[in-house]
Amino acid sequence: MTELLIRNACVFDPLNGIRGDVMDIAIRDGRIVESVQNNADVIDASGFLTLPGGIDSHSHVCGTKVNFGRYMSPEDMRAGRTARRGKMHVTSGYYVPTTYGNSYRYSTMGYTTVLEGAMAPLEARHTHEEFNATPLQDMLANTLFDGNWSIMEAVHAQDVKRAAAIVAWTLSSVRGFAIKLTNPGGTEAWGWGGDLTGIRDPVPNFNVTPAEIITTMIEANELLHLPHSVHLHCNNLGKPGNYATTLETFGLVPDLNKNRQTLYATHVQFHAYGGSTWRDICSKADEITKSVNAKPQIVMDMGQIMFGRTMTMTADGPMEFNLYCLHHNKWSNHDVELETGSGIIPVLYSKKSLVNCVMWAIGLELALLTKNPYQCLLATDNPNGAPFVKYPEIIGLLMSKRYRDEECATLHDGIDQRTSISSIDREMDWNEIAIITRAGQARALGIAAQGKGHLAPGAEADLAIYPIRCDDVDPATEYRKVVEGFQKTRFTIKRGRVVARDGDVIVDGANTTFWVNPTIPDEHNVANDPEFVKKFEEYYTVRMSNYPVQDVYLPRGRCIKTEADI
Amino acid sequence: MLIKDVVCPFCGCLCDDLDVEVENGRIIRVDNACTLGSKTMVGDDRLKAPIRRDGKGWIETTYDAAIEEAAQILLDADRPLLYGWSRTHGEAQGIGVHLAELIGGVVDNTSTVCHGPSILAIQEVGHPGCTLGQVKNRADLIIYWGCNPIDAHPRHMSRYTTYATGFFVKDAHRDRKVIVVDTRRNESADVATEFVQVEPGGDYAVLSALRAIVRGRGDVVPPSVSGVSREQLVRVAEMCKNAKFGAIFFGLGLTMTAGKNKNVRNAIELTDELNRHTKFIISPMRGHGNVYGTNEVFTWITGYPYAVDFSRGIAFYNPGETTAIDILRRGECDACLVVASDPAAHFPKPCVEHLARIPVVQIDPHPNATTHICRLQIPGSVAGIDAAGTAYRMDGVPIRLKAIIETGVPNDTEILQRLYNRVREAKGE
Amino acid sequence: MRVILEAKVRKKPFLPIEAESIIPRNFLKGTDLAVYEGNKERKLVDLFRISVEGTAVTPEKIEVVLKGDTSRVKRIGEYMDAGKITISGDVGMHCGNFMSGGDIEILGNADAWLGREMRGGYILCHGNAGHYCASGYRGEKTGMQGGRVEVLGNAGDYCAEYLTGGEVHIHGSCGDMAGVEMKGGQFIIDGDATRPCGNMKDGTCMIFGTVRQMLPTFERIGTKKLPDRKVTVTVYKGDVANRGKGIMMVKGTGRSDE
Repeated sequence: MTELLIRNACVFDPLNGIRGDVMDIAIRDGRIVESVQNNADVIDASGFLTLPGGIDSHSHVCGTKVNFGRYMSPEDMRAGRTARRGKMHVTSGYYVPTTYGNSYRYSTMGYTTVLEGAMAPLEARHTHEEFNATPLQDMLANTLFDGNWSIMEAVHAQDVKRAAAIVAWTLSSVRGFAIKLTNPGGTEAWGWGGDLTGIRDPVPNFNVTPAEIITTMIEANELLHLPHSVHLHCNNLGKPGNYATTLETFGLVPDLNKNRQTLYATHVQFHAYGGSTWRDICSKADEITKSVNAKPQIVMDMGQIMFGRTMTMTADGPMEFNLYCLHHNKWSNHDVELETGSGIIPVLYSKKSLVNCVMWAIGLELALLTKNPYQCLLATDNPNGAPFVKYPEIIGLLMSKRYRDEECATLHDGIDQRTSISSIDREMDWNEIAIITRAGQARALGIAAQGKGHLAPGAEADLAIYPIRCDDVDPATEYRKVVEGFQKTRFTIKRGRVVARDGDVIVDGANTTFWVNPTIPDEHNVANDPEFVKKFEEYYTVRMSNYPVQDVYLPRGRCIKTEADI
Repeated sequence: MLIKDVVCPFCGCLCDDLDVEVENGRIIRVDNACTLGSKTMVGDDRLKAPIRRDGKGWIETTYDAAIEEAAQILLDADRPLLYGWSRTHGEAQGIGVHLAELIGGVVDNTSTVCHGPSILAIQEVGHPGCTLGQVKNRADLIIYWGCNPIDAHPRHMSRYTTYATGFFVKDAHRDRKVIVVDTRRNESADVATEFVQVEPGGDYAVLSALRAIVRGRGDVVPPSVSGVSREQLVRVAEMCKNAKFGAIFFGLGLTMTAGKNKNVRNAIELTDELNRHTKFIISPMRGHGNVYGTNEVFTWITGYPYAVDFSRGIAFYNPGETTAIDILRRGECDACLVVASDPAAHFPKPCVEHLARIPVVQIDPHPNATTHICRLQIPGSVAGIDAAGTAYRMDGVPIRLKAIIETGVPNDTEILQRLYNRVREAKGE
Repeated sequence: MRVILEAKVRKKPFLPIEAESIIPRNFLKGTDLAVYEGNKERKLVDLFRISVEGTAVTPEKIEVVLKGDTSRVKRIGEYMDAGKITISGDVGMHCGNFMSGGDIEILGNADAWLGREMRGGYILCHGNAGHYCASGYRGEKTGMQGGRVEVLGNAGDYCAEYLTGGEVHIHGSCGDMAGVEMKGGQFIIDGDATRPCGNMKDGTCMIFGTVRQMLPTFERIGTKKLPDRKVTVTVYKGDVANRGKGIMMVKGTGRSDE
């Protein structure tokens, strides 16, 4: 039995209604408890801001595509190199750091759980291998179904149960956590070099539309009682005028779950553009947030961009090719048979570019115009909008109108005509920041029940203690202190153990991977369906028996079992 | 006992449909494999214990003593080189990289003698690729450039390309065209719709000419380019543009001839250009079973796919300088750990001569050319035969190699972990 | 002020030394500098006999002179911004990388990556330069951006790869693919070149010797008299394969195969 007492912590724990109380937190064997014995180890939090461990609900850090981003970028590896020191391995890279680089930087920023935004099932083993080399965060994997042939066949047959059964088999086989749809249908069209232009376009050869894929998968998701909702990267990412597609998509979503949203729309900044070309692009954040404010069944994340160099990487292959034609920088593409696609391209977001300035403003507008902070979470689609090390700056911007005004003054003049960022006065408070960086994520991902994102007795003892005295700092004016404070925790605690202190990681780390295993009646199990098996053996290039990810890849895996309504 | 769906560890195809018959702990029959694969699985002549050089001959030693000696050699070195890795599983490769990090060594893999230049090209312009199933199910045009799959990857054509039936390619023979480009007619050319014979060293110019033609500037191209007529180039360009899905596979004929990485880059940029007209992908024909795995593992740990120098603590990468071949040719290293490869058989003479001058430790179950120049050899089990672990296919698909027989021999991961622990202990950590 | 560094004889003379600390500015504070031999950190004095003549208060007034066997000493003059470095013999790889000002003079040969990613200043190499002279780094889209590199002997392959700005002048011949990926700057080759300027985007390359294996994707746009050189050159634009607008001038017709 190991016990730890954190004294004198200024706690914000939105899921339990705690707002800035100075209190003690007792921990036993990795979990929060009511009290510990007198001989427990003690950490003095000195009245510092103490939050549940940070959760990133959409980030690209592990797997084939991310590693290819590294592989093709020796120029980025020259940035941010550190040598082996103490428990820390060598790290390299700024916007596509090595796995240890990601893990250490997240940890020193107080993040203890990260969801990988896109895992192709066929290449899942790779993602899990990298999870094991990202040792300081518990990991979860969004699993791609956007171009899945058997799913599209089930959608075409209007067979929701079949779709659910395929999802169940796939998620449990590849140790995935949630359904991810990236440009649904579009990635299959990209298999022929094409794309779709809207949610009513038929997918070539499959006679289904993105709208049908989305609605069927939403129903299948709820039949399976998965902890998370469908996690959607809408069609038409990054195209002027795409807000219409986004609104139309939001209009498809019923309210099916009383505990959480029914749809998680990711990096919505990239999907909130008005205008018809890059010349007249403008913000439609107002329309998007008006829709979301009226639809509690939708949660989104910002997809904020920040200025500087970074790497775009997504399963949205056709979008990346369009970017390549625009920038002429190096372009990688990797389509995955029967499942999905992916593309990678480096970008530079420049303050001189009006388009980039508009994008920057939209992300902030989305967060500030969404009334309920649980409905718009902080994320950059790391590293697409910016590497996650920029989160503290985003927090600063959301908490300080003055900071935003000072930034706007350095941007392209056109920003005032194209966006409403200058007219928004809202400044978030500590509680709202705690919501958009952990409580909201825990609820949206459905992992509060797993003890994530809050500090009630029984919760996992993941905590971040930031060197910020909430009473002494006025975020509206002293935003620099806020930014600095969120960059480096005084202590990051993972499962009751101090893992990082003042910017240094001090343990090897031993993370957990969460995955789901929905129980399906035998007669619906696709593994028992000769037709499914036959097609698999015919069209995949690996045998079905070699497809599932073995237990050995999840040395500390935690399975979330659900009972399907099939 | 019959074991189905066994993965062949020989080449980058990692065929996973082998049927293997095992009797009394021995493999007695292999079905579905090519001859190279069968030979790997069945003909397996191994060392029974670690051996060390003792004056004129070899004496057997224990694993403990061998690991102790290996640790001392690495600790005494000022610039140790850790080379090989492509025939072992990813788990062992990872420990190898961490060992290099720990001792301030240079760690490199066999990419240095095969597709290193492809990696350099990809680092310049990226890589439009896909998994092999995309090709199997969709491609109606296959180009083999500077490679001879029939010889080096015997099942590539039947599993993934020329002869493979796919979802959108029901009749492979009728629906698919094949172009072979090489400096001389090879067996693969015999099955091609079109054979393009390029003068040696002429690939770059031919690729440039094709790029110009594809983007509508055939007017500048002279009547003959490196032995290829303009008419043929125009015909090939048209075949490419008219394809629904084209796939270029290339080998050492591009990567290891004059121009090296620039040849590959030019081929990639031709692929980029073709994507403005239709769907096209390009993919290197990776040789060793898990060479692509070395690139993946090295990359997530260090940021670089090969040729990583830790001598300054941080990871430094500069092929041409930090590559094993270049370090050995310049005689820069003073000790070498060879794992799961055979540099003495494949490296240029000056490199092998330097290896013979310095202490070399080899972790490999087979007596090979490197055995003749090493001081110490430690046999481990073989990934895919008596050791399980991860390998990455040439297209990036990760596959688990199975242990199909039980030999009781420690695997490379265990040997390297012990070595790592011993070095760490000696460094007082 | 003159700092003379004479390389000592080493037990393992083949081990590379990395000595990016050898730039004039660093000697303002003395000679207690670190260099690396293989994976070991050494003091400068462990590897060099050091003598200092005179004093200086600015780096511009400092000359560093290297003597003895410096052929394996890498990264001399990296990030140099002022002053002068003179190398009496041969120099190892990466001499003058990222240099932004000052002069480097090499009396012998220079190994690969001489003046890589240079931004300003002047490098004069009396002997031959290795591969990737005045080039870029792996994966980086920008090579040498400014300054001047002059090589009186020959240069190896990929000379001036990704040249973006500044001037490179090779008095002898270049190996394969000189000026490949060029996107700016001026590149002069007095001798021969093989397959020059592949994939060129922009910039000017002049070749006064013979071009071997001229690439098929350069468009002949005319001839030009160069009075300074007293020659007429054929002017090509390219690389057409790359939508390039670079200019390549070649003495005579440029096509040795025609």
